[in-house]
Amino acid sequence: MSTKVLIVDDEAEFASTLAERLVIRGYNAKAVYQGDDAMQSVKNDPPDVILLDLRMPGVNGFEILQTIKAFDPTIEVILLTGQPQTEGMSEGVPTGLFDYIVKPVDIGELIKKIINANEKRHKR
Amino acid sequence: MKIRDKLFLGFSLYMLLAIIMAFFSYKELRSINTRLISVEVVDDIANSILEIRRHEKNYLLFKNEESLKEIRSYHIDLNKNIDNIKSEIITEIGTATYTMLKNTMSNYELLIDNLSKTFQSEEKLALLTGTTGTRIEHRLSGRELSDFLTLRRHEKNILLYKDQLNYEIFESFSPLNLRNDKEVSEYRTIVRKLFMSYKDEKDLTDNIRLKGRELQSITKNLSKKEREYIDVTLKKAGKFLFYGLITIILLGIIINIKLSRNIAIPIKKLEEITKKISAGDYSDLMEVKGSDEIASLEISFNQMEKKLLETKFSLEHAIQKLHEKQSQLVAAEKLATLGTFAAGVAHEINNPLAIINEKAGLMKDILEMAEDFKYKSKFLDQVDAITESVKRCRNITHRILGFARKTEVSIEVFDINDIINELKGFLEKEVQLKNIQLEMNLSENLPKVRSDRGQLQQIFLNIAKNAIDAVDNGGVVAIFTGTKDPSTVRVAMQDNGHGISDDALKHIFEPFFTTKEKGKGTGLGLSITYGIIKNLGGDIHVESEVNKGTTFVIELPINPEHTKGEIA
Repeated sequence: MSTKVLIVDDEAEFASTLAERLVIRGYNAKAVYQGDDAMQSVKNDPPDVILLDLRMPGVNGFEILQTIKAFDPTIEVILLTGQPQTEGMSEGVPTGLFDYIVKPVDIGELIKKIINANEKRHKR
Repeated sequence: MKIRDKLFLGFSLYMLLAIIMAFFSYKELRSINTRLISVEVVDDIANSILEIRRHEKNYLLFKNEESLKEIRSYHIDLNKNIDNIKSEIITEIGTATYTMLKNTMSNYELLIDNLSKTFQSEEKLALLTGTTGTRIEHRLSGRELSDFLTLRRHEKNILLYKDQLNYEIFESFSPLNLRNDKEVSEYRTIVRKLFMSYKDEKDLTDNIRLKGRELQSITKNLSKKEREYIDVTLKKAGKFLFYGLITIILLGIIINIKLSRNIAIPIKKLEEITKKISAGDYSDLMEVKGSDEIASLEISFNQMEKKLLETKFSLEHAIQKLHEKQSQLVAAEKLATLGTFAAGVAHEINNPLAIINEKAGLMKDILEMAEDFKYKSKFLDQVDAITESVKRCRNITHRILGFARKTEVSIEVFDINDIINELKGFLEKEVQLKNIQLEMNLSENLPKVRSDRGQLQQIFLNIAKNAIDAVDNGGVVAIFTGTKDPSTVRVAMQDNGHGISDDALKHIFEPFFTTKEKGKGTGLGLSITYGIIKNLGGDIHVESEVNKGTTFVIELPINPEHTKGEIA
């Protein structure tokens, strides 16, 4: 069974294209562009790994993160960020996040992180 | 001598002189006044004498009692007046003359007394002559009577003229018929006595006139002497006043000159120098002479001028510093604004960049899955080029965001040497690659600083990387730490690389300014570095010489007063 990846980002072109590329690489990837849709999707079809943009208009990314973790703490979340060093991340990755990746994304790097995250999830 | 003492002495002398002059003038005037009174008395004396002489004449003429009384009363007045100014008379005309005056006076009195007695006896004798004559006339008759009447005519001539000639005529007329008449002989004796009395009277009168004249001449002389004395005294007083005034005027002039030399001239000079100072000329100083108040004023003035000059210099220095700080602040503000702007732009560009990246990536995925076609490899090259360009853009935006969006300043106390040592780990790869000699000269007792550790590490890393980029293979990069002063830590990073031109040095901290080849540098590192260091209360400056190397010096306060919460 292929790894289920959910991409949550308000930049639809980015999210959909990235999803398509992951599908080409054999992942079960899906993109949503709003916080509500993201939660809906998680509840209906829980993914293995979520790629989450914390900065979306009108939504607090951290709240989404907490809701996801409350729903299923085993779902691993990789942060999509525009900045190389987001606040509070110089000492590492904040609680609840598996890892982060900086946009524009290097696809090879992303795949590595998804594999790691998935491995972690299934180890439990 | 102090000016106060000099002034006091000068004015005291002046006052003393004036007082002495006033005193002597007063004395002279007083003496003149006394003399004038004496003159009046002398005049009174002279008048009294004149009156006496007038009455004397009357008395001689009319032989009346009133005139005699007047003479006596004036005489008493005269004596009184003379006694009043006895001392003056003695000093003026001498004791001898005074005695003579007194003697003459008493003589005169005596003579008047005698004269009065003589007049009385004459009167009696004349009466007796008359009665005796009349009695004889009644007894005689005839020839005897006629002879006797002739004798009586001669007698009348004697009574009238009182002269020797008529007397001799009377004596020589001696008719025989009357010679033996006893009564006639008696009559003759009485007439003889009368004539003798007349003769006495004449002598007395002459004497009285003489004495009168003497008195007049003495008083005249006295009056003259008194007036002469007043004259002399007046002349003396005039001379005294004249010379006194001249002395006072001369003294005044001298005091004036002295004062102006001691006070006015230095004050004038003071004014000149003050004007010069106002015009910014500090070259002149007061010449200090003597040890009086003016001298101490001059010394104080010179000290003030020196202080003023020092203050002026320090003020100019401060103003220059202020200008420097101001321009630094303006520069920092400019950089901060640009930083904010750049960060905003970077953020906005990053998302489309991510889309381009994904689209290009998808294109490549699709191309790789597709069968071969004529331009497939060329197409792939284009896609790769797009991806590469995106990477370049990514580097730029990441750098901008990495530096500029690092917002919170987190202050902690740490050792600068620690973060410098940590740099080694970050730089290892580059150092090995270029075979660079990395020298660490770290001060052993470097004080800890209160600052932002993370930001400083970024900054040092940035500058160190620049240094490594600047040197050729086998170059040297040296890092020094130390203190500038007890409250400031200094870090210097030196390389022996290609250096920076003067033109480039001017712009080195401006954003987007870079000397690196296209695509290698964003031109943001140093401007962000500058902003952060300023924000931490520190300072950064560069010294560089082309082909010799560059030194960056960073100075950081050990305990900054305040730091801005946010950079951009």
